[in-house]
Amino acid sequence: MNPILSRRRFIKAVIASGAAAATHSGISSAVAGGQETAGEKGAVERLMSLTINGRTRRVDILPQETLAFTLRYKLGLTGTKIGCNRGECGACTVLIDDIPNYSCSTLTHSVRERSVLTVEGLQGEDGSLHPVQQAFIDELAPQCGFCTPGQLMAAVGLLKDNPHPSREEARQAMSGNLCRCGAPMAWCLRGSTRVLWRMGA
Amino acid sequence: MASYDVMPDVQLYQPANIDDALNLADRFGRDGWILGGGQDTYGWLKDRAKHPKAMIDLNGIETLSGVRQTDNGIEIGATTTLREIVRNKTINADYQLLALAAGHVASPQIRNAGTLGGNLLQDARCWYYRRGLACYRAGGNICYADSPEGMNREHCVFGASRCVAVSPSDTGTAMVALDATMVVQSIDGERLIPAGSFFKGPNTHITQMTALRPGEVLTAVRIPSAWAGSRFYFEKVADRNVWDFALVSIASAMRIEDGIIKDSRIVCGGVACTPHRLHHVEKALAGKSPGAETADLLAPLASEGSRPLNYNHFKLPLLENLLRRALRG
Amino acid sequence: MVFARLYTSPMAHGRVTGIDTSALDGMEGIVGILTADDIPAMESPNAAILTNLPVYIGDPILAVAAEDEKTAEDAIARIKVHIEPLPFTVDPLDSLVEGGPNAREEGNVFARSSEGSGFRTIKWSAQQLADFRAGKEPTGEWAHEWSYGDLEKGFADAKVVFEEPFVTIGYAHMSMEPRTAMAYWENGTCYVYGSAQSQSFWIPGLARLLGVEQKDVVLISENTGGGFGSKIGAYPIAGLPGWFSKKIGRPVQLRITREQEYYIGSARVGFQGWIKMGFAANGKITAADVFIIEDIGPNATGGDGSSAGGAISLVYDPSAMRFRGVPVLTNTTPRGAQRGPGQNQIAAVMAPLMDKAARQLDIDRLEIRRINAVNNDTTVYENQEPVTSAYMKEALDKGAEMFGWTAKSRRPKKDGTKVIGLGIGQGYHSAGATGFDGLLRITPDGRIHLHSGVGNLGTYSYAVTTRAAAEVLKCDWDDCVIEHGNTEANLPWSSYQAGSVSIFTHTRANYVAALDAVEKMKQIAAESLGGATSDYDIDGKQVFNKRNPRQGMSYGAVAARAIQLGGSYSGAVYPDDIHEVTKRAVQNLAGSGLIGVAKDNLEQKGVIPGLACAFVEIELDLETGKYEILDYVGIAECGTVVHPQGVAAQMKGGAVWGMGMAGLERHVYDPQNGLPANVGYHQCGIPTYLDTPLHIRTGAVDLPDPQNPFGARGIGEPAMGCSVAAMMSAISDALDGHVFGRTPISRDMIINYVAGREQSFKPLQTNNF
Repeated sequence: MNPILSRRRFIKAVIASGAAAATHSGISSAVAGGQETAGEKGAVERLMSLTINGRTRRVDILPQETLAFTLRYKLGLTGTKIGCNRGECGACTVLIDDIPNYSCSTLTHSVRERSVLTVEGLQGEDGSLHPVQQAFIDELAPQCGFCTPGQLMAAVGLLKDNPHPSREEARQAMSGNLCRCGAPMAWCLRGSTRVLWRMGA
Repeated sequence: MASYDVMPDVQLYQPANIDDALNLADRFGRDGWILGGGQDTYGWLKDRAKHPKAMIDLNGIETLSGVRQTDNGIEIGATTTLREIVRNKTINADYQLLALAAGHVASPQIRNAGTLGGNLLQDARCWYYRRGLACYRAGGNICYADSPEGMNREHCVFGASRCVAVSPSDTGTAMVALDATMVVQSIDGERLIPAGSFFKGPNTHITQMTALRPGEVLTAVRIPSAWAGSRFYFEKVADRNVWDFALVSIASAMRIEDGIIKDSRIVCGGVACTPHRLHHVEKALAGKSPGAETADLLAPLASEGSRPLNYNHFKLPLLENLLRRALRG
Repeated sequence: MVFARLYTSPMAHGRVTGIDTSALDGMEGIVGILTADDIPAMESPNAAILTNLPVYIGDPILAVAAEDEKTAEDAIARIKVHIEPLPFTVDPLDSLVEGGPNAREEGNVFARSSEGSGFRTIKWSAQQLADFRAGKEPTGEWAHEWSYGDLEKGFADAKVVFEEPFVTIGYAHMSMEPRTAMAYWENGTCYVYGSAQSQSFWIPGLARLLGVEQKDVVLISENTGGGFGSKIGAYPIAGLPGWFSKKIGRPVQLRITREQEYYIGSARVGFQGWIKMGFAANGKITAADVFIIEDIGPNATGGDGSSAGGAISLVYDPSAMRFRGVPVLTNTTPRGAQRGPGQNQIAAVMAPLMDKAARQLDIDRLEIRRINAVNNDTTVYENQEPVTSAYMKEALDKGAEMFGWTAKSRRPKKDGTKVIGLGIGQGYHSAGATGFDGLLRITPDGRIHLHSGVGNLGTYSYAVTTRAAAEVLKCDWDDCVIEHGNTEANLPWSSYQAGSVSIFTHTRANYVAALDAVEKMKQIAAESLGGATSDYDIDGKQVFNKRNPRQGMSYGAVAARAIQLGGSYSGAVYPDDIHEVTKRAVQNLAGSGLIGVAKDNLEQKGVIPGLACAFVEIELDLETGKYEILDYVGIAECGTVVHPQGVAAQMKGGAVWGMGMAGLERHVYDPQNGLPANVGYHQCGIPTYLDTPLHIRTGAVDLPDPQNPFGARGIGEPAMGCSVAAMMSAISDALDGHVFGRTPISRDMIINYVAGREQSFKPLQTNNF
């Protein structure tokens, strides 16, 4: 193991190797009742297609698995953070069919045939940052950065729903995301509303 | 002491029609967990405080979602999200009380995923109970909150019976105020239960908060047109303006003709194990004019019959004040 | 890699008498179990990695490692731990009263001092406690005392004298990132991937935790999801993966739950106290007498009480003052430094008292603060030391102007059920340290490698402070490489990233390292090109002869020559006074370029104050106890502003923290069983977007501090202290000057006060709703 690897890269590397064997992913290697009901009317098939950031992948998903775990442990998409795992902080926010959801409180099986967007999917194909990301950087919005992916997704979700939000509307829409550093609450708000002006909206 | 963070093994069924769902609900009985938005599900399961064998996910059943006009009002499918309710034109035009209540639930993301059925059926939020302690509500024989030094600031001031938890549902108060009817189905057929008797206190149902029986599924809520376009008032006082449950809330509907209150419904949250209807206030209101005078006259009635605990007597003036505000308009 | 999960104490205080893991026999996927018996015990009262003597609910007892997290959780569910219960307490006053329980068997008080620290048992009579609860001056025994000036004369000279009891309830840090850690061993070295607030500063502690020499531990921590004082040094649980990995021979990752982060992620020290203040007719504070009972949790971490006393002496400059304190152990979560530890609790207490005095003396509330404002001539603390510089009056004036204090003060207060409250708050924290090392390296490719072990919490400390070296070297920032995030990247003994010290401390360290490099560059140029060292200067690209600018060497050429010359130029030789950590770094770097390395021995005299003030306008609804924050202005007094966006971010973040402390956040424990009510984000009450204002305006005084080469001092902590103080002041103002004497002021307290009802809690009770 290369000790020079950064912490983030290390975690990713581990995940990538884990992802090769999806049933041994670090969350759960147990097979629990999966076969018992296979083929039964209404019971879920573990092998499913997931559309994430525009790519469709076949993944083996436990019946009880949450989307946050699938993203982090099986797909290596560690941009989505788990802050509380109880729907009380917003760090795990992703867009499902353009609507912000807590991925810690979403069953992966419930997003079959839906489109999931995570922070990794915000960049353009040429690697350019999403305007909201750029606005966050310009405003020095992130402090520790742990809540940032969730804040970004909430902001992007807001703009998809309401391209011309007032500051009060932005405040309401961002309110499901905690920031313990505090400052980014004000800055993110500016970031997400400023981007509109910049986009000439 | 363990602290869990991973979903334990539990089977998942995603039936595509109501009959399959009802059959599964029947088959699993108490071992089945009916899944709406899941926002009051995964915490219980992750904490391993509840141990269902199967989750029965209703979200794939198209007929359970959406708002429909009926001959006498509207019917809202149980898996309609709170987001949809907040944004629905008909509800905002005629039954705004429900939109206001739904808009005060938890956080945007929870409203985006959370369903009406789930919000109505959510379990008690007593922090002792949520810790997984074996209290009365969890089938044990003690109430930790109603003890000499129990930390019971958030608990009830009315209707305690061994358990002192409160009904946490924001939409529950609105439903009682709107005289809604719960549509409950099972393989044995359909039951229609008035909202006012759907929520159950611990004197009759200590381990569950509603009249729903094992094997039954709440499929829809019907709101009669009787209160359409009435004067509505909703207010929720919580510590934080996001996520937190009501310390006290009020949902009211008043039918006013020629400046005189003909009929009214005044329902409070956060004060009892069920949405707490102030029948005596409603009676006293009939024939009076809304306004500050009536408000000041009747506000003290709100806390009549209350029995506060060590840390929650502030709910009495708060309740009176919220009634005052509802009547003042 | 394997995944570990913790089993923690279900009891507030107890003794483990047996651990039954037989249910795990034959369980598939279980890799190992680690108990306290596998790890050297810590000397009481220090927190252990794992313990057989749990002292709070949530104290880690054992860990299980498995092939995956769920299997580890399944195993934890099956383990049976037998614990014999011991007496416990969750409120210092319950322990302080005669016959009351002690949080630890050794005693109920742990007093730290330079003469020696130790357990004590201090008990007050029931009457003494009752008198204290009734708001009278405490007459029971205390553990710490200091004073200056003539207190009696001070009170005799006062026109207004009053006494007030107060409570500030502690609460959890609750950083967003739970303190996950991973470790493995390679050739006798332990590699730890952890969530650390500082970088180099962790190494001695981490080595101690792991029982190895400092050279045998590597910390990788590039980004950390919040610390707020809870991750300054190596905390015990960070050592667990290392021990576990050693035992089972595999890399171990320990991810903890949010609930466990509440338990072991530390919390602010709580206060229960009494203060007596004397004010002269002109508003000047003549005397302050403060007594603080500190809730120091089970591990005796704190010192907040004396810091609070120090803050009174600095911010309000009383002519005479006395501090007395007694740190009491409780079986609640371990406490630790939290953003302005001590200073910010007392800031909250003091603001409404300044208002009260102003009202009684009929002086404007801004004016009474100006009269007592700390300035360049103020002497502070027990020994009446000087300050490096201080411009509180300027900060107040700037804030008052931005806020429109005079105009707002004249506006009507009440509209229906809504009342306007205006508040002013002042914050302080000592904002600098000295004696740390700076290290940089110029390589033959012309790159400037700036080595920083300061840590990364997203405040850009590592970049802002190393920039100081780049400025001295006059080099293009794009030619610089910041080496940080991994102690194997040869990091110097850098300042801890805490206590608002980074900017003052680490710019000095980088400054001296850069001066060392410049001197060496000139020497090399003189040696290579002839002439004297003093003939040469630098321009960011080359060292050149001042008389003949065309005669010079590029930075890269100088670096290449430094390698050839060896000695101190290449790092083969280094100063004796640098820290062991820096020495190792230089040894590893030796021969790879020109090394600039030095310890910060620059002159430093007096207290280095980070100061801030805030003005806030709230609209409080008398019927619901809720308030909206209509306007907030925060002014930083942190010397020269080095990074304007960074200062603004700190001022805003501090404002939000102050709003949380003022109205929402607190520990809640059931005294009957020691159970905590608020283990998750929900019950902890972290402020949300809708509990904080849309508009937070900030500014800065921007006058240089003479003892920092760039004029800078820190600001992170005062940014919060001024906010909580302003909020307390505003709530009091909205309620006709009523002094609650308690943080947080929760909705129920406001409702009960307005309704003329008693509060629910006992006077001076703590850790309650």
